[in-house]
Parts: sequence; structure tokens; C-alpha cells
Amino acid sequence: MDTMPDLGDRPRDDEIMAQHYAIRAEEAEKMSFIGDKEPLSSLAAEYESGNAIFKKKIEKLGETYGALRRTRGDGNCFFRAFMFSYLENLLETRNEAEAGRVKDSVDKCKQSLLDLGHSEFTFEDFLASFTDQLDGVQDGSLSADQLVENSRDQSISDSVVMFFRFITSGEIRKRADFFEPFIVGTSGLSVQQFCRSSVEPMGEESDHVHITALSDALGVLIRIVYLDSSNGDGGNNLDVNFHDFIPGQCVQEQPILKSKPSVVLLYRPGHYDILYEK
Amino acid sequence: MSTPSRKRLMRDFKRLQHDPPAGISGAPQDNNIMLWNAVIFGPDDTPWDGGTFKLTLQFTEDYPNKPPTVRFVSRMFHPNIYADGSICLDILQNQWSPIYDVAAILTSIQSLLCDPNPNSPANSEAARMYSENRREYNRKVREVVEQSWTAE
Repeated sequence: MDTMPDLGDRPRDDEIMAQHYAIRAEEAEKMSFIGDKEPLSSLAAEYESGNAIFKKKIEKLGETYGALRRTRGDGNCFFRAFMFSYLENLLETRNEAEAGRVKDSVDKCKQSLLDLGHSEFTFEDFLASFTDQLDGVQDGSLSADQLVENSRDQSISDSVVMFFRFITSGEIRKRADFFEPFIVGTSGLSVQQFCRSSVEPMGEESDHVHITALSDALGVLIRIVYLDSSNGDGGNNLDVNFHDFIPGQCVQEQPILKSKPSVVLLYRPGHYDILYEK
Repeated sequence: MSTPSRKRLMRDFKRLQHDPPAGISGAPQDNNIMLWNAVIFGPDDTPWDGGTFKLTLQFTEDYPNKPPTVRFVSRMFHPNIYADGSICLDILQNQWSPIYDVAAILTSIQSLLCDPNPNSPANSEAARMYSENRREYNRKVREVVEQSWTAE
């Protein structure tokens, strides 16, 4: 008795996946990788006739934050938002020392990837797409307009995203013992499988594990502000939850002292945008 | 003409020449760096042992941002290999990442030989035999191993 489906009658798995990705890509392309800075009121407008908890939370959000910048929802939004927000902050504060410090972190990441058995030629061009911009901050050749342009350029933006994916994967595999319980607990995958299926490919969405790993790898404090329908104690004191990913907090080394986060992202289920303090 | 993909493929080739992983070999065709021939040797102490399986890898100018199209030229009998030789392997489709070089692609295909993924069958007969009648499955594998020595 033949119990296997007849493979001739239905599209192949890879064809189904290709179609799924094509549909998502088409939707995503309606929006640029990184949008213009918008007042927070544009967020409120989105929920005007919507959920009361969201509306209250956005009001609360307005006490601290004044603007946002939207990112394309193509599964790479966390990495694109991080890249733009981090570099924009670096430019505005003219923090050359920080640019130098993060370059040292990039060197360590490079060494980790080599230690994990990757050939340098597989990642060096991606690495350069990020360090070129750090050079630009240091020598003053990168303007704010140029940064926006770079972030909207598919080749540069994708290349930096890829580099972040590599070092995120490298950090997770280097500290597999630390990350394993979180990964197995939420996905049921092994550390290797998780990196291969959920970190390294473009378009795979980021969660807690990715953010922790990237924050640790580069030594950058990331604040994620959560806009969801959870209503805390259910009372009138609706608070907008946020979480600070403090680099080094979970490793043996001296944790970096809590300072002002240089990257603040707004999380709505499945998507990250950039937030600006007032 | 030197494009990023061609430059990268030259480096893939150098790596494969100087530091080849065990049991695989590959090289671009004479006048075309975008089209490679490769051979995967069946892993020792498995039914695949002794097989020399030929493949082609067709790259595009999007490499390494897009994977190559990889096909077995040798006839295969495997749950995840279609009759036309194309391969159902996550990293060659939606889970591709530029971190893989040609050596890593071929190594992944080599390990797929002995470690099929029964959840995405490309050859239903092989998939069924693999789970229900391993002895017969292994016999079929030995057949394609022997064919791999003679077939053009």
C-alpha cells in the first residue's frame, strides 16, 4: 500500500518556500530599509481606532520619546535598525573613542570566526562594509546624509546585516554553553542548528538570543522598548516595559557599567523600529 | 572581467586547492568560473563507501549573496535528491548564508548522503525504503555506488 503522497501533484517544498519569500519581499519593498524620522504622533495615528492598551502605552511612551524611524519589515529589521541607530548616535556625539573601541570588538569577532573554522575571505568584505563607516566617523568623512544613503543602499545595508549575522552566530557558538538553555528551551534546536537556520540566513527574525549575542559581541548597550497589549497589573498604571541588554552582564568579564543606551529600539510583535528620546 | 562574485569564486577555488576537506574536490570548468564540476566521495564505512559522485555547481553574479544551483550528474538514490539530480538541502534554498564557501557546500552535501532528512522527501521511493526496509535501501545505494564508477 502506497502511503507516500504523490510528489508529482504538488509543488516541491523549495518552490513553496520560494513563493513564500517572494510574497514577503514584495510586501517589504513598499518601504525603504530605513525611513525618515517621524514624530511619535504618527505612531499614535496608526492606533487611533485600535486597542485601548496600545493607545495608553503610546501616550506613556511620549513622556520619554519624541520621534521614531521606521524600518522595513523584511526579517532583517533588528540588524538594520541597530546599524543605523548605533552609527547615527556615534556621528551625533562625534565619539571617536567609541568608534575605536568598537573596532577592537570587531577584531575580536573576526578572531572568533577564524577560531570557529571560517575562512577570512567568506566574511572580510561584509566586515569592511561596517568598518568603512566607522572609519568615516573617525576621519569625519561620513555625514548624516551619507549615513541615511548608505543605510538605504541595498548592497551596503545587506552587507552590514550579513556581517552582524555572522558575528551574532559566532558569539552564540563561542559561548554555546551559556546560550544553549535559552535556545533549546524556546526552539528545541541545537545551538548549531539554531545558528544555521535562524541567525546566519538573511531574513530570519531576531529575538532575545540574537540581541544578547550582538550586544555582547560589540559591547553595545541596547534598549528594547516593548509595545504590546500586555497590561501589567491590569490597573490604571500602565507602564511601557523595556529591557536593557547590557553587554558583558552575562559573561565572566567585568560588566560594562550601566550607561545611557546608544541604541533604543521599539519592539512591536515581530518588528523593530528606532526610537528617539526627547 | 572581475566582478565581486568572480573574485570570490577565485578565492573559493584557491581554498579548495590548498586546503581541501576530506573526500571532496571541485574546480571551475576551463573557460567559465561560474560553472564548476565537483566530485564527492562516499563516506567510508557507510553504504556510500567507494562511490565517486559527480556534481555541477552553477553560480550567478549574485554569489555569495545567493547560493549556486547544485545538481548531481551521477545517478543517485537518496530521500533528498530529485530524479533530475537537484538536491533538497536547506542551505541551498531558503537557509543559504554567504558564510558558506564551496568547500562548506560540498561538505554539507557529503554529510547529507548518510544523514537524510526524512521530513522533506524528494524521492518518495528512497524515503519509504530508508524508513521501512533499510536492507533494500542499502542495496539500492550500492547499485548507484557501482554505477558511479562507469557512468559518464
